Amino acid sequence: MTAIELKALTKRYGDRTAVDGLTCVIEPGRVTGFLGPNGAGKSTTMRMILGLDRPDGGGAYVGGRRYTDLPDPMREVGALLDARAVHGTRTARDHLLWLAHAAGLPESRADEVLRQVGLESVARRRVRTFSLGMSQRLGIAAALLGDPAVLLFDEPVNGLDPEGVKWIRELMRGLAGEGRAVLVSSHLMSEMALTADHLLIIGRGRLIADVAMADFVRRSSGVLVRADDPEPLVKRLTGEGAEVRTVADGGLVVGGMEAGEIGRAALAAGVALTELTPQRTSLEEAYMELTRDSLEFKAVAV
Amino acid sequence: MRARALRAEWTKFRTVPSNLVTLAAAVVLMVGPGTLTAYRAGEGHQGAGVFDAANISLYGGFLFAQIVVGSLGVMVASSEYATGMIRTSLTAVPRRARLLAAKVTMFGAVALAAGQVASFASFLLGQVVIAAAGAPAATLGQPGVLRAVAGMGVVWALVGLVGVALGCLLRETMIATTVLVAINFIIPIIGPRLLPEAAGAAVTTYWPIAAGLRITTTVADPARLGPWAGLGLLAAFTALLLAAAFALFRTRDA
Repeated sequence: MTAIELKALTKRYGDRTAVDGLTCVIEPGRVTGFLGPNGAGKSTTMRMILGLDRPDGGGAYVGGRRYTDLPDPMREVGALLDARAVHGTRTARDHLLWLAHAAGLPESRADEVLRQVGLESVARRRVRTFSLGMSQRLGIAAALLGDPAVLLFDEPVNGLDPEGVKWIRELMRGLAGEGRAVLVSSHLMSEMALTADHLLIIGRGRLIADVAMADFVRRSSGVLVRADDPEPLVKRLTGEGAEVRTVADGGLVVGGMEAGEIGRAALAAGVALTELTPQRTSLEEAYMELTRDSLEFKAVAV
Repeated sequence: MRARALRAEWTKFRTVPSNLVTLAAAVVLMVGPGTLTAYRAGEGHQGAGVFDAANISLYGGFLFAQIVVGSLGVMVASSEYATGMIRTSLTAVPRRARLLAAKVTMFGAVALAAGQVASFASFLLGQVVIAAAGAPAATLGQPGVLRAVAGMGVVWALVGLVGVALGCLLRETMIATTVLVAINFIIPIIGPRLLPEAAGAAVTTYWPIAAGLRITTTVADPARLGPWAGLGLLAAFTALLLAAAFALFRTRDA
């Protein structure tokens, strides 16, 4: 199974460092959400993976090789960078046809992927008459053409209607389920929460978090507990496998346990609780918290 | 592998309908105005010192056609930047030199084929109207005539490739087309009238397109380059521009 490896990947534009020593592995068999505010370096990273931009340091490898050294790139990696980057007077099928010729694939593949993305009825229409959603589908068809083990999608749900968003989500889940490595960028946590198994969060070109989605969820929620005598309670809770943090004013934040379980644990430990409040930090808030220092443009109150 | 890239470039070219229309327009522009100017020249042939019937049937139309062929060459490269297609093209064919070589080969062959059709049609029709105007017409069997007519087709291909090189180097269609028109039209045609005599003569003799068109003459002119030397100069100029395009294309971010 093919993975993408980034090793100290760096890109500078003048004195601005767009991607700053990025090191991580995008594993096969799961959807990896590539998350970060606008301008964080997501697209630049994807372009470097595809050999479109030249890194100033480090490298990006697909199955151990640079993209430009792959003998059959389209059969190994499929990418959707910009759905509008097509020649408008070509028909959808012709767009896939030249790609199939470039990859040495039979023309029947073009028809297969058109069917797969639901564009067969408009296969012979010029691309410039397409809505953004249809263009996204065509871009995905192009990515799938070579039946690649690695897929890159740059903001694929931008401008899609809810039905299209759901379709892409299920498609990506399906592709990962078949054992492919799927890297999908977004600046919206809410979208990733429904799609990704794993998160790579970047800000200002740096890796902020490389974390399983489940861990991120667990980390970002908890129950605020106050008790007259916290010590035996902490012992009891940690003994039952919960994560307990002490916050500034002496309260406890308990992770990995529901409020009801905590209440029963307190009863068993003979400790009276003075507060038991489930905290629903949304994933969006947790993500904002992580990336707050790395926003390129921030609204300032005046 | 290279054959795949070449085939993909041809598919790209032929699936944009305006490309084939433009190519046909270039042939029509060569043959139409070419035939008209040939007839006019035939009518006035007694006043002219030397009457090069082959060259006359080729040159008049080429002035129009070359702008179209060159612009089409520009578009083959620059439209990829305008649409963003270049990134798709480079993910399909990530080796830059291979992609550009495929583009150059494809368009060179297309322009050469269209150029030969245009040149032979222009010559044959031109000779008919020259004869009709009462002037001595040329035949392909005469010395140098076949070389002149086939050479015209080669000049088409070279002009087209200058367009591809400029499109790739400058990336902006408008800028590249303007430079192309300056190089192939304004400087060689208007330049000699504006420049001091010596500089004007140098442009007439050594400017690439002016030199290259010597291949289409059948009457020697001691003041100008010979047919093959002239074509060689245009070919060398084209090769230089292409080399610059390859060098830049290999290192530039897409």
